[in-house]
Amino acid sequence: MELLQFSVRKLIAGVPLVIGVTLISFLLMVYFGPDKTFDLLGKNPTAEQIAEVREQLGYNKPFLVRYGEYVRELVTFNFGASESTGEPVTSLLARTIPVSVALALPGFILGNLLGVALGLLAAYYRGGLADKFIMGSAAIGMSISFLIVIIAFQIIFSSSFGLNLFPVRGWDVNSIGDYVSYVTVPTLATVFVALGYNTRFYRSVIVEEMSRDHVRTARAFGVPPAPLFYKLILKNALIPIITRIMFSIPVIIISGSLLLEQYFGIPGVGKATYDAIVTGDQPVLKAVVALTAILLVIVQLLTDILYRAVDPRVSLK
Amino acid sequence: MAGFSLRTNYCVWPAWVVLVLLLAGCGGGSDQPDPSLEGLRVYRHSTEGTPTSLDPVQAATKYSNLLVINTYDTLYSYRYLARPYELKPNLAASLPEISADGLTYTIRLRKGVRFIDDPAFPNAEGREVVAKDVVYSLQRHFDPATRPQGAWLWQGKIVGIDDWKEAGSDYSQPVEGLRALDSHTLQIKLVKPFPQLAYTLAQGYAAVVPREAVEKYGREFALQPVGSGPFRLESFDTARAVLVPNPDYRWAPVDIYAEGYDPDTQSFSGIEAIHGQLPPFVDRFELAFVQDTSARWNSFTKGNEIQIASLPVELADSVLQSKQPVVLQPEYAARYHVKSDIEAGFVYQSFNMDFPEFGYHPDPIQAERNHALRCAVVKSFDWEARNESFYFGLGAVFPGIIPPVVPEFDPELSRDSVTRDVAGARQLLIDNGWNADNLPELLYGSTGGVRPRQFFEQFRAWLVEIGYPKKKVKLKQFASFGDLNKQWRESRLPYIAVGWGLDYPDAENTLQLFYGPNAAPGSNSSNYNNPEYNALYEQAAVMQPSPERTRIYRRMNQILIDDCVSITGLSRTAIPIWHREVIVYPSSQIIGGYYWPYIALSDGAGGIRQAQTESP
Repeated sequence: MELLQFSVRKLIAGVPLVIGVTLISFLLMVYFGPDKTFDLLGKNPTAEQIAEVREQLGYNKPFLVRYGEYVRELVTFNFGASESTGEPVTSLLARTIPVSVALALPGFILGNLLGVALGLLAAYYRGGLADKFIMGSAAIGMSISFLIVIIAFQIIFSSSFGLNLFPVRGWDVNSIGDYVSYVTVPTLATVFVALGYNTRFYRSVIVEEMSRDHVRTARAFGVPPAPLFYKLILKNALIPIITRIMFSIPVIIISGSLLLEQYFGIPGVGKATYDAIVTGDQPVLKAVVALTAILLVIVQLLTDILYRAVDPRVSLK
Repeated sequence: MAGFSLRTNYCVWPAWVVLVLLLAGCGGGSDQPDPSLEGLRVYRHSTEGTPTSLDPVQAATKYSNLLVINTYDTLYSYRYLARPYELKPNLAASLPEISADGLTYTIRLRKGVRFIDDPAFPNAEGREVVAKDVVYSLQRHFDPATRPQGAWLWQGKIVGIDDWKEAGSDYSQPVEGLRALDSHTLQIKLVKPFPQLAYTLAQGYAAVVPREAVEKYGREFALQPVGSGPFRLESFDTARAVLVPNPDYRWAPVDIYAEGYDPDTQSFSGIEAIHGQLPPFVDRFELAFVQDTSARWNSFTKGNEIQIASLPVELADSVLQSKQPVVLQPEYAARYHVKSDIEAGFVYQSFNMDFPEFGYHPDPIQAERNHALRCAVVKSFDWEARNESFYFGLGAVFPGIIPPVVPEFDPELSRDSVTRDVAGARQLLIDNGWNADNLPELLYGSTGGVRPRQFFEQFRAWLVEIGYPKKKVKLKQFASFGDLNKQWRESRLPYIAVGWGLDYPDAENTLQLFYGPNAAPGSNSSNYNNPEYNALYEQAAVMQPSPERTRIYRRMNQILIDDCVSITGLSRTAIPIWHREVIVYPSSQIIGGYYWPYIALSDGAGGIRQAQTESP
């Protein structure tokens, strides 16, 4: 009951956040975003045709009226159709989000697992050769542009000039084998870059926990390393780890990975969002922004619940 | 860390497990053909752009047009191999019958042509294409609800069509100049002669759609072609389109000679192997949209695609042994065919004559000075350097706006206007009282990105050479082409750098770019308005092709050159490249996308690969 009450309170408290995010985003879209009108006109338009298209796009309506329509769309979750393709926005998201999630998930999981593992190793051997090696590698990973990593990995692993082990591009997934085949190189690229950031973060969290008085005391009392690590260090380090992981989820689900999708020819939501941004396809943008805001509220709620699960001192109030 | 011994550090084993799992996960397979495609003849092609809408009324880009004209029927199309491009009947049974006054076109349709089966039709069975469908398809361009992009082709030209729109685009009401005389005869009445009408009926814009499908799918019709063309769309997203042959299409044995075969220039492609054979020669077409150059090239060389629309310019030096003529390096020549495909269009730059700093001015003396300033900028422009830097050095630089691909092109025209003359430009400025202090600021608009900035920097450097202060030549980049286009259409930029793709192979299509009444927001972004030019345009626009019309076209071209309104021009050259197993003579032009039905795969012994499974 306490959990339910907390959840309801938290969700209600999230409404102003959603309104704030959508209002500011819509303001930017309307006053600073691309004008779609001339994308939809032919080579030799007349003033009358321009006026017709602007009318259809709703550009002539007052801002508040347009925002009111946005709120209505948000409540009904009906954002209409893409101005570029005519595809219903809900259908576009339903088609592209699963692809982006499937693409990003292995890299996300491996990047974090490996980050924790390497962070642990580095913290464990703090100041030693292993620590220096891992942190040095992390710095290198962070220093190389994701774009360069993608192109280099594509050439090394996928092209006929390299190992030619995986598809260069595409997403023709009909089986687990296909999936592994298509997702491997994007995953390696993601992990390569994410690992640097993750390892540094997790190392600092673990080092901090390892330096606490109760850990030192436990060690003095002769608690073996495994229980010490799992019960005293990792458990207490879970709060920042959960925070980091949970708040990455909306990005993975909604934003996808534009560069991966573009360079590997993967029809995900990242590419769709990017196209919508540069062409001013407001129905798609409105949906993406709204969905991101809603997901953030839900993630906040889940994060709080998880805090409580891993640390009984946290109160759901 | 002294309290932890290496022997007891099993708490870190998950790290090693994860590492091992990761390495194990890298053992995926390489590109394996989909087992369901085994035995099928699959043709895979990639382009650098993605189509957004497949509704013919919105087929404005060459990417959309390529899919539209291959999934729908147009009344006319272009002969596969003929260069210059030549019209031929497609859905029409013959070329149009034109009345003596040139105002009435009677077009007879082939009988027995059917739309593909689709749930839009009763019992999901495609019905016969009739003349009313053509009427409906053209009417849609005058219905604002469809967001049409091709209305300008027929606006003010077909009797009653503008009134029909004015009256609310009611499809139950007839259009006087657009009628189905019977089920297979169409009549088009014109306000004034429009010799290019048949060409416009070969464009994707004029593709014939069934009303049932438009009404059933609404805006999603843009993603679900229901046509009577040679192919039907199997799937389509932002990364790929898949097409399969339409089994009910009127496939007929190929006569390459009737298609304009020229053995001297085309025999290398092995095209003779399809002569007399009955298409389709391919069971499945996969069209990949790959914007990134390196991904496109890697994918092509690996064999994922067997043709790409054009060799990336960045790779020209490493892939080509020679540019004139285009010859591949031996290691590539062993695997690929290549051809040089001059653009049906051109790139050019213009002054916006509405800006008194460069264009028209009420003071005749200042107007003359502005003319001198424009001519000095024209002289400063180094087309050869532009060609070499950005277009392989293969582009065709030509004076004026009649490009080499149209029959009215004049190869004898003086090249002074495209020959750089820095000293002449400097002198012109001095003679007309221009100096660093009084030269006006020149704002150069472009889209974002590296290439447009490179164009600008090169241009600015040339201007600096003739004495233009660097700080007075400024760049303004816009987030999207739509935003830049808006600036042009609203006449807000003094200088326009743009390209134009021909809608049909007739110089009228480029000459209209400077016709006064087409001023912004129309296609005349330079807002050039010369009464003599306008009168000549109006005179030539109603004339059938003739030496007299060509003379008028060339006179108009000379007027533009003399007025220094435009810095022009260069027709780019695409270099389609394809695996040797493909038998094709491709064209990357918007008017040349009709070659898909003739694509075949080689059997390696001089013939074509035959279907191994039942033909679809």
